Amino acid sequence: MKSILNIAQIWYNELRCICKDPGILMFILFVPFAYPLLYSYIYTNEVVNDVPVAVIDECNNSLSREFIRNIDASSDVKIVAHCNSMDEANELLMGQKTYGIIKIPASFSSDLYHGEQTRVGVYCDMGKMLNYKAILLTTTNVALAMNKDIKVERHLPATTQRQEEITKMPVEYEHVPLYNPQSGFAAFLIPPVLILIIQQTIFLGIGMSMGDSRERNRGSVIPFNKWYKNPVHIVFGKGLPYFFLYILIAVYMFTVVTRIFTLPQLGDYWTFIAFIVPYLLACIFMGMVLSSLVYRREDCIMLFVFMSVPLLFLSGLSYPGASIPEFLKYISYVFPSTFGTNGYVRITAMGASLQDVRTEYCGLWIQTGIYFVMACLYYRHQILNIVKKVKPTL
Amino acid sequence: MNNKSTYRRILAISRRELGIYSRRPLFLFCLLVAPVLCVVLFVTLMDDGLPTKLPTGIVDEDNTQISRVITRTIDALEETDIKYSYPDFTEARKAMQRGEIYAFFYIPRGTTEKAISNRQPQISFYTNDAYLLAGSLLMKDLKTASESTGMAITRENLYAHGLTETQAMGIIQPIVIESHPLNNPELDYSVYLNNVLLPGILILLITLATTYTIGLEWKQGTQKRLFAMAGNSSWIALIGKLLPQTLLFSLVFIFYDVYFYQFLRFPCNSGIFPMIMLGILTVLASQGFGVFLFGVFSGQMRLSMCICSLWGILSFSLAGFTYPVTSMAKWLEFFSWIFPLRQYYLIYVNQALNGYPASYVWTSVLTLVVFALLPVLVIRRYRTAFLKYKYKP
Repeated sequence: MKSILNIAQIWYNELRCICKDPGILMFILFVPFAYPLLYSYIYTNEVVNDVPVAVIDECNNSLSREFIRNIDASSDVKIVAHCNSMDEANELLMGQKTYGIIKIPASFSSDLYHGEQTRVGVYCDMGKMLNYKAILLTTTNVALAMNKDIKVERHLPATTQRQEEITKMPVEYEHVPLYNPQSGFAAFLIPPVLILIIQQTIFLGIGMSMGDSRERNRGSVIPFNKWYKNPVHIVFGKGLPYFFLYILIAVYMFTVVTRIFTLPQLGDYWTFIAFIVPYLLACIFMGMVLSSLVYRREDCIMLFVFMSVPLLFLSGLSYPGASIPEFLKYISYVFPSTFGTNGYVRITAMGASLQDVRTEYCGLWIQTGIYFVMACLYYRHQILNIVKKVKPTL
Repeated sequence: MNNKSTYRRILAISRRELGIYSRRPLFLFCLLVAPVLCVVLFVTLMDDGLPTKLPTGIVDEDNTQISRVITRTIDALEETDIKYSYPDFTEARKAMQRGEIYAFFYIPRGTTEKAISNRQPQISFYTNDAYLLAGSLLMKDLKTASESTGMAITRENLYAHGLTETQAMGIIQPIVIESHPLNNPELDYSVYLNNVLLPGILILLITLATTYTIGLEWKQGTQKRLFAMAGNSSWIALIGKLLPQTLLFSLVFIFYDVYFYQFLRFPCNSGIFPMIMLGILTVLASQGFGVFLFGVFSGQMRLSMCICSLWGILSFSLAGFTYPVTSMAKWLEFFSWIFPLRQYYLIYVNQALNGYPASYVWTSVLTLVVFALLPVLVIRRYRTAFLKYKYKP
């Protein structure tokens, strides 16, 4: 009973300290609530449409014009200029008026009439991979479709419609993009970013509050007070306000943000809750451990903010984890975000069960355990320090 | 006040600043350790350049000579590594959920039989586009594999009719697309991303370090002493304080440039010199932006640092190097102008990547210069701040 009272008192103190501090509130309220909306809004169009390209049609025959028309008709690419020479087209490329050049050779139609292969050149600016992908994919698809028509119409005439279909495509195939039907950018990037925001803002919030108490208590992270005697009580008391707040934030992200921006949502609600609990605990305890490096309130901004970018890449979501060197993976296991983002994406976007994300789930609990013990040891050390400092004066 | 005493004052303040750094490991960390750690991390992370051999699964229900040939063909493709074989679709889907594979190829029972008897079998492939990069790389490979399966069947027929390979290819694939990814022919992701990500992190660190070191004066209540040292000139105080950082961060930028363009041989068609100049201009622009923010919020250190972080993190999205700004809402396209990283990216593409004349990006260069000059707008506020304001938590 006494310990519960004790924890409650520390909890109350921490909560009061948070509420009085606009800096902490900005990071733990404003950022988690506003940033997901902002990010989703930025990427709300999901895919790249109408990438501008220039075309050089040296052939200028009905076949080449058909080719160009088909490209222009696609949703991804838009032909904005017809150029007479490579120089003219290059000029547009340099001014970023277009991101690609499609060059149809003079022999285009005659090659096709003679049953020979003809080569269409596609030149792409490599400043953005998405543009390159859009241009290449569109031209390839248009070429494949035209190839099939040419094959049937000119070379292998069919007698029935069914036979024509078969000749066009002796083997039919189908591509199904799973878990992100549009192959959209938001659906891919937002879920891991949400989870990363949770971790980073927890680190920032706890770090700031720690820096705050150091400044107020002459370098000590805990006040000299009868409530602050047991490290376990301190860790729980300080962690609880964040835990309850972030449960709300996590639910908000999982439901409101996901729904407003129609991100993939196959996840089971209770699976998500069960998964997010160890994630939050691991983040909070690790935040406490990392905060031992924070001596001034503002230090934590310098320490934690830039880490977001490397952590996003280390998670193996934006850059395929299979291509990340082994030793970097071990480094990434230090941070809850690695397990958190991977697990979350699989639960929400792919409808995985806890069984499917067992590795991540266990990883988070192990982290929770380790960081809890480390946080307790750290506070114990701090308490002993205070005792040492105070004793001589007694 | 003559020039000589101005220099002396600036030097004295800079020396004092270096003294502050030496007492605080945090500065050492943010000015040198973090930028170097990040570059090592990202370069090793993307060591492969273009991710290859991504784990892929196969469901071969047909299990004939031909379906096994298809499997081997897929496995030989660059991005694809057929790592697991599953008995049915459900098993493969579950493996995808567990994250074992990024995609799988499905050959249903009877494929070979149908193909031989000309009854158009259907094969399919599934990519996990929640991992968009891996998903789309594999999509490209598996699409090629599917196309070539069909082509192979027609080709065998044509050979049987006595056509030569050239003749057959003219029928099967009359139009060939030859792609020329300009200046990054290997589609190296390390080139593509690191050239922008790392300067982005650096810009973030520069703006933060600027506001932090200026704010520290107020926080410790030494702003008046600094102002006196500067002979009551806000300019001298600020220049003296920021000069060491300008030099250090410029050195870091030069280190990046040399490492990327000389050592790792990233494409650098403009020569390294313009990139070094760009680096220095970016340092000045970011510092100018930091000074401006601190001035606008009249010395509220934490608020300006918060804004810097929000700004810096947002700039990775609004630089538009992953997802183009032209595909975002219209106003965001204009909004993106006020992010130094956006300008850096545009100039980098123009210079190092493509080696085009700089005249095409003069607006971006000008914008960076304007950023560097922003403190002019708030210098009067600094004067008031030096004399009147106290640190506000």
